[in-house]
Amino acid sequence: MQQAGSSASETEVTWEDQQNINKFGRLNNRLHDLDDEIKTAKETNENLEDASNELILTDEEIVRFQIGEVFAHVPKDEVESRIEELQKVTSKNLEKLEEEKETIVAQMAALKKILYAKFKDSINLEED
Amino acid sequence: MSTSASATERRGIPAASFVEDVQTYLSQLNLDVSSALAHLQERLQQYRVVEMKLLAQQRDLQAKIPDIEKCLDVVATLQAKKGTGEAIITDFEVSEGIYSRARLEDADSVCLWLGANVMLEYSCDEATTLLQKNLENAKASLEVLVADLQFLRDQVTITQVTIARVYNWDVHQRRLRQAAAATSVS
Repeated sequence: MQQAGSSASETEVTWEDQQNINKFGRLNNRLHDLDDEIKTAKETNENLEDASNELILTDEEIVRFQIGEVFAHVPKDEVESRIEELQKVTSKNLEKLEEEKETIVAQMAALKKILYAKFKDSINLEED
Repeated sequence: MSTSASATERRGIPAASFVEDVQTYLSQLNLDVSSALAHLQERLQQYRVVEMKLLAQQRDLQAKIPDIEKCLDVVATLQAKKGTGEAIITDFEVSEGIYSRARLEDADSVCLWLGANVMLEYSCDEATTLLQKNLENAKASLEVLVADLQFLRDQVTITQVTIARVYNWDVHQRRLRQAAAATSVS
């Protein structure tokens, strides 16, 4: 009686494969961190938007603006320009983060193709 | 001996040696499959412990950096107002939910909290220099830490892949033995 041949995959893992797998893992971690950073940056942006809207509505001349841990009494115009500055910085930061995220997603897609081509079902690269 | 192309260890974290061939690996270590798997699992646990420690350090640094930046902001504001001769009026927290008003005139010096119940007085310039230096150190430490974590995670991945390969190799060997036994019986 002939036994069926072994169906366990015999694909050898080379050092190059291992490095690809490692790189994929690193990119995945960075992607998660980036998502968190992008979320925080978006929240900061929203807060700044709300603040500047409130500023337009208020009729007080002196606004308590938070610097460090204290609230300094600052004239409304200066607060406006400070908030604008902060908004510029946060928007630029957000742009940079989104760009980095795009690059990482592209790199991960490329690595996925390479690894799935070699290992097919023996490897799982999806998010659990 | 199967060697990895990268460093053999980094800041106390031993590198996981990459296994070229499972058969050679097992015969060189002179271990059977279950002991090899146990050894690898133990390694994995050790890596996890170090990972926890590094993550905690990373969280501390990530909290410290915005704090230092806030301090720099305050000192810069004080310096800016010093030239104009105007007084700064600020509301500061006395206790949770309770604030009081302070009037700051012509701030020549600031006191910096150095930790361990020590507070030192510095001129605005000295304070800025000190805070800048602390900020740079913190950022540099964070960079090194992130690199350490990446290295560690690579070693974890290598170990996990090795465990899977040893296990698969074992399953494959069993199937071959079963097939051999079956054909020899029939």
